[in-house]
Amino acid sequence: MKTLSVLLRIELLKTAKRRAFWVAVGIFAAIQTISTVDGVRTAQRYPNMTFALPDSWPDILFGASGPALFFAAVVMILLFAPEFSWRTGRQNVIDGLSKERLYAAKVIVLAGLVLLFLATPIVIGVGGTLFSPSEGGPEIIRSTDLSFLGGSALNLLLFGSAALMLSALVRSAGPALGVLFLYVIIEQAIGELIARGSETIRGVTEYFPFNVAQDLGENLVHYPEALAAQNAFRAERGLPPLEFLDVKVLAIAALAYTAIFLVIAFLSMRKRDL
Amino acid sequence: MPIIQTHELTKRYGRRAAKSVLAVDQVSFAVEEGQVFGFLGPNGSGKTTTIGMLVGIINPTGGSFQLFGASDPKGLLAARSRVGATLETPNFYPYMSGRDNLRIAAAIKGVGRPRIEECLELVGLADRAKHRFATYSLGMKQRLALAATMLNDPELIILDEPANGLDPQGMREIREIIHILAGRGKTIFLSSHLLWEVERTCSHVAIVRKGRIVASGTVEEVVSGGTSVLLRAADEDALVAALEGYPEATSVRRSDDGVLVSLGSDDFAALNRYLAGQGIHLSHLAPHRQSLEDVFIDLTRGDFDSMTEIAS
Ligand SMILES: Nc1ncnc2c1ncn2[C@@H]1O[C@H](COP(=O)(O)OP(=O)(O)OP(=O)(O)O)[C@@H](O)[C@H]1O
Ligand SMILES: [Mg+2]
Repeated sequence: MKTLSVLLRIELLKTAKRRAFWVAVGIFAAIQTISTVDGVRTAQRYPNMTFALPDSWPDILFGASGPALFFAAVVMILLFAPEFSWRTGRQNVIDGLSKERLYAAKVIVLAGLVLLFLATPIVIGVGGTLFSPSEGGPEIIRSTDLSFLGGSALNLLLFGSAALMLSALVRSAGPALGVLFLYVIIEQAIGELIARGSETIRGVTEYFPFNVAQDLGENLVHYPEALAAQNAFRAERGLPPLEFLDVKVLAIAALAYTAIFLVIAFLSMRKRDL
Repeated sequence: MPIIQTHELTKRYGRRAAKSVLAVDQVSFAVEEGQVFGFLGPNGSGKTTTIGMLVGIINPTGGSFQLFGASDPKGLLAARSRVGATLETPNFYPYMSGRDNLRIAAAIKGVGRPRIEECLELVGLADRAKHRFATYSLGMKQRLALAATMLNDPELIILDEPANGLDPQGMREIREIIHILAGRGKTIFLSSHLLWEVERTCSHVAIVRKGRIVASGTVEEVVSGGTSVLLRAADEDALVAALEGYPEATSVRRSDDGVLVSLGSDDFAALNRYLAGQGIHLSHLAPHRQSLEDVFIDLTRGDFDSMTEIAS
């Protein structure tokens, strides 16, 4: 317990003094504020457009599932990888933290970032509804919204843990960011190449980490009615229906990837010299 | 119980045999309570690597060590709370002030705020403590590192080349701090390639060369380990050539005063007879009291040419 509070304290101090962190959070919050203000304005101007709970949850949570991914990964790398190049992680261990505890400290950072990038859009979005003229429904949040919320959280966790692992493996912020974005591009390229091939291989690409993350952050996965409407619309135009893996399967895949990434990072931290 | 004890401690960097470096090779030594122990060796001899293994940032590839008698991970973690150490360059968060950097070290060591101020005061950084670390001069960075090692009032202080980058005034201050700490009964383990630094500050010394300990003991013992003589003759080249063939001569070195020879025995008469037999007549033969420098250069000769520059 005491160790945990020490880890929390040192990571808070490191983070709070880091300007890059505040810049990232500031930009992210600004994006959320702009889209929320836009939602409220639209509701004020056009009575048939609502901005209220629970109907606006998909709009509010979009921030936590889309842009947040990118921000969380970048911030995770910025808060971990430089510990190697500055050799401050080394100093932390010399001062009495074990390498395992240094790793644990960064897992705490990961958890903190998931919460932060989930809470920021929610606070701003829900705050926005207070200024909106729209009438809310009887429920504040529905089970579909909770599913989207959970999906967004797993999505952030998956991406954040990939960033944590890359920081531990690559040990330098710039290259770690490069590898992360390159991976995303390559995964998508492979996905498209394979999509032209056989049906069974295409099924496999759905389980690739970035695809799992994207699907979990896709609102159609969590809102069956919206998906049905979308597919009806597509059917009218002769397009094939959209299909997604089951939410539970996606969730398990995301957790499995997260676990694998965290274990790889742990083993690397333990085995390599600082 | 020794404070530090190593048993054939070994570190090989790199897995592939062709590219790997045997940085520390079966090193065994003990540091007892209250000693000021100098770990002396030329660049690349494995000093930093050895310290890195003691403080837990480098995994040994062979052998073992004990700190305060502990060798298991849990015991070592506890033992390390009684240690203060710096390694190579000072490592701090460049965007934070000196004080905030110490707050992190203090949190890890479980030390309160007043002690931070005390340590800043001790190393003379109090008035610059609120400035960013990135703006510090090298000497100030070294001082901050020293302050960080002393936060938890450690029983064992490990310093890796503490005088690195300091001006003469700064070096003297470090020496004074070490003397004060030693006077308080602290055990100090200090690595250096500066002979006079070790000679002036240390009670014990181990000389390392290419990852192996080639001599160790009290500074006295190491210095008196060999016998040497200073010779002069009309033809110094012939003298040196003749000495190369003398089996008792362990090293032959020219100096400003003549030719310095380290001998395996102190039978000077035999040496004189031998040289006379070679047709060399000495104009001067006198026993030479070795300095740590002589011993060091004898022991590490050949792998560090610029050593003489530093030593002179
Ligand atoms: N991370 C590493 N990977 C590979 N080789 C290394 C690594 N660190 C050190 N070495 C090698 O190990 C040997 C010992 O290095 P070390 O830094 O321990 O020497 P040192 O005695 O501290 O030298 P100096 O006086 O220059 O600080 C050197 O040959 C060095 O090149
Ligand atoms: Mg070194």
